[in-house]
This record gives sequence, structure tokens and C-alpha cells, in this order.
Amino acid sequence: MTTLPADQRAALLEAVSRLLATESSEASVRRTMATPAGYDRALWKQLADMGVAGLVVDEAHGGAGAGAVELEAVMELAGAALLCAPLLASSVLAAELLRASGDEAAQARLLPGIASGATIATAALTGDAGTWTRDGVSVTAAGEALSGVASYVLHAQNADVLLVLARERDDVAIYEVDPRARGVAIAALPTFDHTLRLARIAFDGAPGRRIAGDGWRAAEAALDLALVALAGEQAGGSRRCLELTVEYAKNRFQFGRAIGSFQAVKHMAADLLLEAESAVSAARSAAEQLAAGSAEARAAVPLAAFACADAFTQVAATSIQMHGGIAFTWENPAHLYLRRARSGAQLFGSPSAHRERYLAALGA
Amino acid sequence: MSTAAISDSALRDEVRAWLAANWKGLPKPQRGASGDWTLSPEHKAWLSLVVEARWAAPRWSAEWYGRGLSDDQARIVEREFAAVGAPGTGQDRTNLWANTALAHASPAFRQKIVPALLKSSVAMCLLYSEPGAGSDLAGIRTRADRDGDDFVVNGQKVWTSGAATADYGMLIARTDWDAPKHRGISFFFCPMKQPGVEVRPLRQITNESHFNEVFLTNARIPAENLLGPLNHGWGVLQTALAYERSVMGDDARGPRSGVPEATKEEPLIALAREAGVLGDAALRQQIAQAIAYKKLNALNSLRAKADLAQGTSSPVVSLGKLAMSRILHEEARVRTAILGARSLFEGPQHPRAEDANFLTLNAYFTSIGGGTDQIQRNIIGERVLGLPKEPEIDREIPFREVKASRSKAR
Repeated sequence: MTTLPADQRAALLEAVSRLLATESSEASVRRTMATPAGYDRALWKQLADMGVAGLVVDEAHGGAGAGAVELEAVMELAGAALLCAPLLASSVLAAELLRASGDEAAQARLLPGIASGATIATAALTGDAGTWTRDGVSVTAAGEALSGVASYVLHAQNADVLLVLARERDDVAIYEVDPRARGVAIAALPTFDHTLRLARIAFDGAPGRRIAGDGWRAAEAALDLALVALAGEQAGGSRRCLELTVEYAKNRFQFGRAIGSFQAVKHMAADLLLEAESAVSAARSAAEQLAAGSAEARAAVPLAAFACADAFTQVAATSIQMHGGIAFTWENPAHLYLRRARSGAQLFGSPSAHRERYLAALGA
Repeated sequence: MSTAAISDSALRDEVRAWLAANWKGLPKPQRGASGDWTLSPEHKAWLSLVVEARWAAPRWSAEWYGRGLSDDQARIVEREFAAVGAPGTGQDRTNLWANTALAHASPAFRQKIVPALLKSSVAMCLLYSEPGAGSDLAGIRTRADRDGDDFVVNGQKVWTSGAATADYGMLIARTDWDAPKHRGISFFFCPMKQPGVEVRPLRQITNESHFNEVFLTNARIPAENLLGPLNHGWGVLQTALAYERSVMGDDARGPRSGVPEATKEEPLIALAREAGVLGDAALRQQIAQAIAYKKLNALNSLRAKADLAQGTSSPVVSLGKLAMSRILHEEARVRTAILGARSLFEGPQHPRAEDANFLTLNAYFTSIGGGTDQIQRNIIGERVLGLPKEPEIDREIPFREVKASRSKAR
């Protein structure tokens, strides 16, 4: 995984930040989350043109050739703006599955479309139990026909390509499946976070094209990158959510004073700053370790996963309490952050599971 | 008095030559009978030599034992001293006592005290906090009243380390009871070796003694030991506190590798393994979280240093103390949970229980000392996040009218 030069990285972040300020405003997010697709095609095209859709795809396949560090930084911006996009599904999980599989033919076939944003791909990695573990894979392959169930599949209802993890005897392999093929039934799942799109897929003898390589090892690589991306999103979301809350506490007056002058409120804000900044540190460190291919990544990724998930949940939840009544209304954005935080905290494994993985990485 | 400009390389050569001729190393420092670190006679002799050669405070003018060097050139001197392991230079940056005296002492007293402070031939302590003025330091009630050529001091100070061996204490005392709290305080160098000063060791909750109470009963201070104008001691205190903080900040920027400890097992994991509870799922969650708090704080510090190196200030700097409180309390709590009933014990037969119990109590040293967590949250809220201050009802009224704690709270 390569890394962009500093000036290119800064220019990219500046451009994404400017685009999201107007095109992923709170009003835009609310509009988009009410649509069935759950993402804005025009915005997706603009992001793709900037190189975001193919951020971690290598240049030979039409991508930006960047790595985990740039991805994490972009995700901080995405999280702050509550961006609605198939970024995690297509540009992270699917792109990294293909890269890690080592199947050059599949890469040549699929990565250019993913990088240009024209193809929405997604990865079906776990079953109804939602564990994102090897044991949790509940699709089986017989020959090249797939049966069983995959769930919690991001943006499957919007996908042009499904990459499906399936058991074959003792192995797990990746299969490329056309979502419109016979034997594929995609059912959109109702989600607590309206900016999220999930689906359950039932396979009944569906035709799949086997992708070379160790499927589970590729899935682990894809999940690690997705966890770092998610951690970045949560860190960025924590910071923005706290900013909005502090701004409110400066301007909301009760008893003749800004509520932020009350220590009961001020101390909550100070505690949240520690959470939010620790999340930023954890996410960036995990990205650096993963990009460097360091052995430290084994601990750094799960640390970022639970620290950022817990931080965002705490910041968003406390934000509502600090606002008071206004944040109990649908019109206030505080609940959008809480919904995003609570969803992210369960995707790709729970915080408890990540703590367990962290401890194992430390040798316990 | 100006000093002729010198080139970096000539300066470097001069320091090296001087160190080569004079630096012979020092014996290892020893802890004194009272548990304090005391300087050996050899160490003091070395400091005198450094002062006489005008290396102790090279940024200061020749009149004050310096060379009028720029900060960059003074850093060259510091690097050369550090390279051979010699102490004593850079005191214009790090010597709290000498800096405070030079900036604020009367001319007569300054002449006397500054060289002594640079040579560490006088020992110092801090007489700031009182039983009734902890978080609210401006609420001090120790009084200093003018009597002829002296001030006479009455009151009680607390949390003073080194009081038993000190020659002087930097003291804040109230000199005007009709002025508002911040405007009736004066700052003194109080002689400690006199009948009016009684030092009593404080026994801490850990059963150790690192601090003292200091009782001042008609203690006398020559008027020339007043620093800054009468009743302007709060301002002097702020510059003294700023020196303290800047030196602490410097320490934090010192050469640390930033390499995470990879080989040594985390103490909590080792303890749980030893106690046979490493398989306990509930404990594992707590152990992971406690280790994570520590690791996250280390990552925050690394990020703050990187930001600082790039010239951007980081909000992370101010979070370290609050983070450390949680780390220490959590680690002690989880240690106790790992030990279970074995934490009931005490004494050398039970070292694990000793550790857990000591750490449990000593964690308050960090969450109370140097500003409680609650004061720290105020500082973060106000200075980092920009939230407004709480109104202070005692700020503008004569101090005489400010309510004090009832005796039960003292």
C-alpha cells in the first residue's frame, strides 16, 4: 500500500473538504438519507473524479495509488459531514478484497470500474450472526453455485458487483456474483442509522465466478482496512459533533449565562475532548501502522476500532444531553451523529470483540 | 552591558575547550536522611565553577553571570554540556528560583541571592498552598504585616517539599485585607532557618512522608526580600508559575524514542497471568481497556510533539494530566479486581497487594495534586474549548468580606 506525497495529500483533503461543505451539508444529508439508494449519485461522481472512489486502488488500475493514511484522513472528513456514499462498500472492502486476493485477472476486470466510481461493488462477508469472523461465513459454494445467506451487506441494493465469501470444504473463497443473476435475492434491511444502507442476500444456487487466492486472508486484510477507515470516520464524527455542541453551549443562555459556563456542562465538554482527540490519535496511528505493513498493526487496528467506536458513541450520546430539549427533536442533527456512532460501533465486529483481539495481539 | 558577537563555531570550540579542561565527572547523587535529593559538595563546587565561567546563564548579561547569547547560541552551549553529561548550564531557562529573583527582587537582595541560587548554595522550597487555599490559591489567609524594616508573617502553608532543608521559601502572603483577593497579595523570599518557622512532616494516605506543613508564627522577613511591588504578588506568582510550566513542558519535549514497548509484557497482563485469571472474559475486557487508556495517552503525546515540531499548537497537550489521572485510577482498580480477596493484605509478604493498594491511593496524587481533575476540566473547557468562565462572586469585593470554609472543612 503506497502513500501520496504530502502536497498531493493536502490538495486532495482540501478539495474533499470544500466539496463536502456544500454537497454534504446537513440539509443534503437529510435529503439523501430519505432516498431509497441512500447516496447522491452526482456527489459520488464528483468524489470519484477527485480520486476518492479509487483512493486505495493502484494507479495501474485507474486508482490514486494512495494507502491507509490518506483513506483515514478522507474518512475523518466524511465522518464529520455524515457523508452518505458507498465508500466503505466499494472503495474500501471490495477494492481491498480484490487487491489482497492477488487475482490479477479479477483486478483488471473490476478495479477500474470501482476506481472511476462507475461500478458499485460490495463485499458479503458475514451471515445473520453478524460476527465478521471466519466461522460466521454462511454461504457455501458447490462447484460455482452459491447457496446460503449473507447479511449486513453494505449497499448491496445499489451494487453492480457482489464479492461473496463462501465456504468450500475446509476453505473460504471469494466469488464474484452478478446481483441480477438467478438465485440471488437481495432484501434491503431497515436501519437505525438512516444514512446507512444494508441488505440481506439469500443465495439459492446462484452462479459465482471464483476469485483466486486465500479468501479468508483477503477478507482479513479488507476488514482491517475497513476498520481503519471506520475509525477515521468515527474520529472525524466525534470532533465535529463536539464542535457543534461546544458552539451551542456558548450561545444557549439560561439563568442569564451561557450554559457552557456551568461546570456541570463544561466538564462534560472537557471529557469529550479527551475522547475525541484520543480517537483521532488512535485512528491515525492505526492507519500509519497498516500503511507501513508493520507488525504493530495487529494491535493498533483493534485498538483504534474499539477506542474510536466507543469515543464516537460517548461523544454523540453526551452531546444530546448537553444540548437538552432541542436535541430531543428530529430537526436537530445530534441524533444523526448518535445513529451513525451506534451503527459504526457494531459494523465489522463489536467493541468488546476488538478489545479481545487487542489483548490477544498483546500476547494475552 | 553588551557582549561582543561570537560565531557559532567559535562558541562551540570555546565551550568544548572549557569542558575538556574542567569537567571531570561527578559522583552519583545520594538521597539525604530526609529522603530529599541533596547535592554533594563536589556538585556544588562544579556549579560554582560554571557560574564563575559565565556558562550557567549564557542568555543573561555579563552583569548577571551571563554572556548575552541568543537563545539559539545558548542551546549550543546546552548541547555541549549535555554531550558530556555536565549539569549547570541553561539555568536562565530552567532555574525557577533564579529567574524569579532576577525578574522581581530588589537590587540589594538580587545581588546577594541570584549567584547563590545559580550555585545552588542555598536550598529553596515553595510556600504557596494553604489548608484553606488549594484550588483557589488567591484565597490565601497567611498574613504579612510591616514592622520596621521587616515583615512579620503568621499563618500556615502546606504541601511543601524540601521545607526541612530549605534556606528560603518563596512565599505568598496577604498584605492588604481591604483589596479584592488578587490585589492584596505580596511575594517574598522567606528565610526558613528561624524560630518563627516550624516544619512538620505530613503523613500521606500512602503512609509515606514527602511533604510538610509549615507553621509561620511571627516569622520575620527583611523588607528587601519583597519581590515586586507590595500587593502585586499575584503577578509575580504568575511569572513564577509560568517558569514552572515551561520547564515541565521542556521535559515533556525531551528525547524520548517514541518506540512503543514491544518486548516487555504489559504489567496487567503479567499480573493476571500470575494470578491465574487471564482467561476471565470480564477481566480481559477491563485489562484491555486499562491498557488502551495508557496507549492512547502515549499516542496523544506523540501527536502533540509532532504538531509542535511542525509549529502548530495542539489541544492534546492540555489533556495529558486528565488522561493520566484516569490511567492511574483505572490501572489500580483493575489490579485490585485481578487480585480479588488477595488485595486485602498488606506488608512485604504480599507485594502484589502492596502494589495494588499503594497505586490505588497514590493515584490521587495526580488527580488532586497540581490542580484537581475538576480544575483541569475548567482549564480545558475555558482555554482550549473557549467556554465562558463561571462568574466569581469573590473577585471584586474586599478580601475581608470573602467567605471562608467553616472549621469542619479545614
